[in-house]
Amino acid sequence: MTTCQMNTPPEMDMKEETRHFNTQLAIIGSGIAGFAASIFAVNRKIATAQIGNTGALAYTTGYLDLLGKQDDEQAAIADPWRALEELRKNQPNHPLSRIPTADIHNGFDEFTAFFGEYGLAYSRPGANNITALTPVGTLKQTLCVPATMAAGPRAFAAQKPCIIVDFIGLKGFSGRQVVANLHDRWPDLGTERIAFPDMDHGEIYPEVMARALEVPATREKLAAALKGAAGQAKVIGLPAILGMHRPDHVRAELERLTSLEIFEIPTMPPSVPGIRLRELFEQVLPHKGVTLIPQQKVTALTFAAEGATLSLSDSYGPIRIHTQAVILATGRFLSGGLEAHPDEIREQLLGLPVTQPADRTLWYRDRYTDRRGHAIHRAGIAIDHAFRPLARDRRPYNERLFTAGIILAHQDWIRSRSGAGIAIATAYRAVAEVERFLIAQA
Amino acid sequence: MAETPIATINFKEEAHRLLPEGASFEACLTCGLCSSGCPASGIENMDPRKFIRMAELGMDEELSTTPWVWCCTQCKRCHHVCPMNIDISQLVFLARSNWPEDKKPQGIVRSCQMICATDSTSAMGLPPADFVFVVEDVLQEVQATQPAFRHLQAPIDKQGAHFFVNQNSREPMSEPDEMVPLWKIFHLVGADWTYSSIGWAAENFCMFSGNEAAWYEVIKKRVDAVNNLGCQVWLNTECGHSYYTMWQGMKRFGLEANFRLESLITYYARWIREGKLPVNAKWNSKGIKFTVQDPCMIVRKAYGEAIAEDMRFVVTSLVGEENFIDMQPNRSANYCCGGGGGFLQAGMTEHRRTYGKRKFDQIAATGAAYVLTPCHNCHSQMEDIGHFYGGNYGVVHFWTLICLSLGILGENERTYLGPDLLALID
Ligand SMILES: Cc1cc2nc3c(=O)[nH]c(=O)nc-3n(C[C@H](O)[C@H](O)[C@H](O)COP(=O)(O)OP(=O)(O)OC[C@H]3O[C@@H](n4cnc5c(N)ncnc54)[C@H](O)[C@@H]3O)c2cc1C
Ligand code: SF4
Ligand code: SF4
Repeated sequence: MTTCQMNTPPEMDMKEETRHFNTQLAIIGSGIAGFAASIFAVNRKIATAQIGNTGALAYTTGYLDLLGKQDDEQAAIADPWRALEELRKNQPNHPLSRIPTADIHNGFDEFTAFFGEYGLAYSRPGANNITALTPVGTLKQTLCVPATMAAGPRAFAAQKPCIIVDFIGLKGFSGRQVVANLHDRWPDLGTERIAFPDMDHGEIYPEVMARALEVPATREKLAAALKGAAGQAKVIGLPAILGMHRPDHVRAELERLTSLEIFEIPTMPPSVPGIRLRELFEQVLPHKGVTLIPQQKVTALTFAAEGATLSLSDSYGPIRIHTQAVILATGRFLSGGLEAHPDEIREQLLGLPVTQPADRTLWYRDRYTDRRGHAIHRAGIAIDHAFRPLARDRRPYNERLFTAGIILAHQDWIRSRSGAGIAIATAYRAVAEVERFLIAQA
Repeated sequence: MAETPIATINFKEEAHRLLPEGASFEACLTCGLCSSGCPASGIENMDPRKFIRMAELGMDEELSTTPWVWCCTQCKRCHHVCPMNIDISQLVFLARSNWPEDKKPQGIVRSCQMICATDSTSAMGLPPADFVFVVEDVLQEVQATQPAFRHLQAPIDKQGAHFFVNQNSREPMSEPDEMVPLWKIFHLVGADWTYSSIGWAAENFCMFSGNEAAWYEVIKKRVDAVNNLGCQVWLNTECGHSYYTMWQGMKRFGLEANFRLESLITYYARWIREGKLPVNAKWNSKGIKFTVQDPCMIVRKAYGEAIAEDMRFVVTSLVGEENFIDMQPNRSANYCCGGGGGFLQAGMTEHRRTYGKRKFDQIAATGAAYVLTPCHNCHSQMEDIGHFYGGNYGVVHFWTLICLSLGILGENERTYLGPDLLALID
């Protein structure tokens, strides 16, 4: 018989084998820009690898904004396409100003069509913005909304009697708050609070509710409760919990069971619409042939005459990706693409030059709420006509390196309500340039 | 006897030492994605975000003593979904290690003690001689009663065999006939394999009990056993954590190994691709539906997508593409079953089932009649929550279905088949 000795074991590293992948395009970053680039590349039959922690993607409301506000105007934009013309005149360096309107439209079309195939239909880009509901019951302009949310703006426009239902134990969504904020503009709006089936204690999360609604028995129980809550109303608004994997199906089933019209309103993070997008991307892209390495950071990127090499590790060990072209879509400060150092803002992976204010005192205005915005938010990577980042000599850093997303300079996506728009449109352009480059190389 | 108090850990300080660069608590955005995606959230009024916040606020005493650390299965799903790459399970492991042995859940402690008590490293305490006896006994019975397998072998301590095969103790201990399907598979593909009388067992609860020294001893014994037999591959059979504890243990403790660690799933896939295991789905004439459980320990925490893909290739080859329904979420994003991390052994049944509700919903949403999984813990937990929440699905091992598909599943090897599957055989 043996016993375990209580001696302290030595610590050493075991040798690990490096895995190598070859590809035509490597996309760094798994935000909307990175995933959009993957979709566009796959549709163009470009062999693609994508690496990156999904980061801010999981926080989105699910709304795809193109342009909701001009920087110096108060009013919301109704026609984003016309507003783009104005943007081109006023801000020729803005990333959206560098892309033809037809390309932006095609990018949104291709991006939203992709989801429809997988049980998460989106409205297609229309001539005008949609007036959509925010988690707190204010209104915002956006271009495309998930089909599960579309009935909300319609009911609001038609001023139909409607009940907003919220749930005991659910934080981050309050029917009462939504009604209070919308009351003047939607008098026939009421609210009810109910218990979610079989979740009777403690804090409950939208993610858990959404997954539970994938189970038919849970839907039946919820449908019974919703019928009770609806009263005379024929339309019900719920926080975004209508399933994770098959939301269109879950909504259709609930409508069938209740004979009510049902729509979702986004909730505060951690919210379901972003997790839906993320899980869909993570499942579908590998199926389409993308080498997806989620949740890892690229630690080094080097260029040689014959191609570029990315270095990273996953839980299994080190990985090298050898590629013809690279799209850098690493986002801003939150996602780690840009870093704020005491003296300057730096690009994290390659140390690319960052267009930024001359010194730190100019990053912010005195008041954080200043309507004119802050210079730091317009900092970012400058590019040439082919969406290649510029080196200090104002020439492309490398002919194989392209960039997309909100890492780009000369835009403030939060003020202009254009987060997804910049990500999708610039990804569309960057992939077009990569395709051109690969053909020229061949 | 005086009770040993639980010492207080300075979590903030420890985190600086433990967490990789760029993944400190301070980076936490308090977004709650970890909690929203963690099946242990709410148990003992704790969740991963709260754990991080309390650590940040210096609430070290509460964190050092919360029993929640035994309900977190160390599945690392929180790490997987965290935008800032924060790994809470490392802190939980630290907290576990800090509990005095007499305060830890005794089920896990005893399992580790059992593992240390014999050269078998078996959590059920089965000594080497008994293991050898059971294997030989079952083998003789098969040779005598199944003519097609009268030359079946189950070598023990065979010097220089290619594969060193481990074995979960549950089979030799309580359902010995369940070992046979795997022997048949090895026989068919002509594998050169052996069991070892020393270090043969697949389970390892010492890591989960937070007893690092014992973890080291177990791994050392197993590594020495493989080295001594001169095998090239340590083949991990249908068990998740045995792989993870061996792989991580070897890395952590810097053990010299003259062999590779591999997973049986990879070989199932390879042998099917090479035509050595000529399985097909024709037997599934009634279109019985199957889903698969990705064990955290070999998918999210180890091989990632590659093994998840192999597993799906094997399943669809066995049951037919149209009869396979993936759980949602799946692969690296899959939920832990709730049996991992020693939870099944810890004796906290109510909490474990609360945790398992998420898994139950996932399975129920597929509508599948069976769950396949290459992990004994997942297997037991999914059976238990199925009964508890009133599900009507069965749980099967891969080896069972492979032999079923090949028409070589013996009478005594059908424990996990329901009437629908049995009807298809007879
Ligand atoms: C709370 C919140 C709500 C939002 N709501 C909306 C909305 O309603 N509508 C809308 O249109 N937009 C919205 N957005 C904006 C939108 O989600 C994206 O931020 C935007 O589309 C920009 O995407 P991106 O891909 O350029 O950057 P990000 O989304 O920031 O993605 C960058 C990615 O790069 C990864 N990365 C960084 N460094 C590395 C590295 N070294 N290696 C590998 N990967 C790396 C990061 O992990 C991250 O995944 C919202 C954003 C937030 C934060
Ligand atoms: S997911 Fe990460 S960043 Fe978000 S609350 Fe959890 S630990 Fe913090
Ligand atoms: S390791 Fe798993 S169980 Fe533990 S906190 Fe993270 S998600 Fe929850």
